[in-house]
Amino acid sequence: MANMLALIHNETLKVWKKKRFAVIVLILMILIPVFVYAQMKISQSTTEKFHSDWRSELQSRITDNTNALSSDRIPEEWKKWRRALVQQLQYYLDHDINPQTPNAVTFTRTFMDNSVTLFIPLMVLAIASDLVSSERSTGTIKMLLTRPVRRWRILMSKLVTLTLYVSLIVITTALLCYLVSGLVFGYGGWGEPVFVGFQVQGADVNTNGVHAVTQGVYLLMQSGLIWVSAMVVSIIALMISVLVRSTAASFVTMMATIIAGTILANMASSWKSAKYLFNVNLDISSYLRGTPPPIEGMTLGFSLAILAIWGAAALIVSFTVFTKQDILN
Amino acid sequence: MNSSSWLWRILGWTALICLLVLLTGFGWALKDTWFPNVGQTLPEKSAPETATGGDWSGKKELFVTSIGDSLTKGTGDATGEGYVTRVVDSLAKQMDKPVHLVNNLAVNGLKAHELATELGQVGYRNAIGKADIVLMTIGGNDLFQIAQDGGSLIEGGDLSPELLLEQLPETEPRLETVFRKVRELNPTARIIYVGLYNAFYDLPEMRPASEVVAKWNDFAYGLAKADGNATVVPTYDLFEFSINRYLSSDHFHPNADGYARISDRIVQALQ
Repeated sequence: MANMLALIHNETLKVWKKKRFAVIVLILMILIPVFVYAQMKISQSTTEKFHSDWRSELQSRITDNTNALSSDRIPEEWKKWRRALVQQLQYYLDHDINPQTPNAVTFTRTFMDNSVTLFIPLMVLAIASDLVSSERSTGTIKMLLTRPVRRWRILMSKLVTLTLYVSLIVITTALLCYLVSGLVFGYGGWGEPVFVGFQVQGADVNTNGVHAVTQGVYLLMQSGLIWVSAMVVSIIALMISVLVRSTAASFVTMMATIIAGTILANMASSWKSAKYLFNVNLDISSYLRGTPPPIEGMTLGFSLAILAIWGAAALIVSFTVFTKQDILN
Repeated sequence: MNSSSWLWRILGWTALICLLVLLTGFGWALKDTWFPNVGQTLPEKSAPETATGGDWSGKKELFVTSIGDSLTKGTGDATGEGYVTRVVDSLAKQMDKPVHLVNNLAVNGLKAHELATELGQVGYRNAIGKADIVLMTIGGNDLFQIAQDGGSLIEGGDLSPELLLEQLPETEPRLETVFRKVRELNPTARIIYVGLYNAFYDLPEMRPASEVVAKWNDFAYGLAKADGNATVVPTYDLFEFSINRYLSSDHFHPNADGYARISDRIVQALQ
């Protein structure tokens, strides 16, 4: 066990010294202010238009979406999505709850929701993609494998390191987002109520199970779900990194898969079996929000099961290949 | 101890704590999804908005709310303004005080009975309750039922003056309900009902439909008179001789110039 800990220690510091995490923090520090500024501009103009009357702003959103529903040019799937949105917004209005109170927690929650399918995976890949392949391209893999340590232990230590960094990345993203946006929107908002438990059933939203949680709890649950999806991405990236020699190739492969997933999620509703692909199931925090899933019949349980199967398969492949493969060059 | 050992300790522990936090969050999310509890209690609802009423000249600002169908929405106007924004703008100019549009709640294709249902919604209650002026158009979709599908309108479809006349007794009580409900929501606001016009005046076989439209407008005017603080702004005469100049390409809704003419009339009526 001490042996294992030493390996993890070694791996963690290797990633740190390669300044991967520093790059991620740097990217966040540049991007978050950009989004905060954009959001500030948007909310300024809406406050001006609606004289800080959130009720009429909300009603206006409902009316706009209802109007979009009457257009024949909008595909049926989008209508379903909008219909659910209208019913949710109406639920907020009926209960006199502002769904978008202007504060740092709301901003963080929205930012995290929007980053789960692309931004978080991208940052995770910055670390996961070259965990093994970089050892091979620089030749250090030979040093590693000639030590009196079993090969699976080496890969295991890399996996544990990856888990630690993924956790660090998710929390850092949320934290930086909160700290930066708080400068503009104020640091309050932890206790504001958010409704969860909307259930989309065909064209209707079932509100029987709807209950309110505080935004703080929502953020915690959401981060937990985002972490799971980021972990699956990183485990699959680890597998690619074991299989492919070049870091660039493994990064590009993963990125293409992730992007394909977001595109598929937008258009695959008629291709039902696409729901068994992992990259369509990454947006699991959307189940908290209660937005209709990309493909009929997907639920939180379903998506988690799919992600678990893909993750497990990737682990099996990684470990089998890594312990068996010959190192030539 | 050297620096790398310190780094490892800080890094390791921080990451471990993050991991535990996230696992808690994940567990919580599962529990909340599959075994939800009642959840926190909600804060007390705030009182609905109410209009201040009273004389307009004494007020610092005026509030306008508009409800109804595609005409109020501004469908057909390439500038996207419709008559509502134009009325608000020119009213502000002429009265020399800020006039605010609380909300334009119009929905394309809305019918009178649907509007009556919508008037029960919280959003409508607030927006109308706050207003000094309520602008509305409704009934066009009830009478001209095929108004939904744009393109085929030009041929007139299965539309006939006789059919319109048949719709009339059914639709009139609905308009009455709408007037009554708006008044319930706001006892002091001035209600402006924009009358209907015959968009098919240029089709000889649809020319008699103007009579039906006139009957409808007459009925609306009766409701407005009974109300006391409402009026009907006529539009039936605006487009008859130059339909193509003032109607948009869907041959049903006005274009930008058409809406400008409607808004001029409303502003005149309000002064």
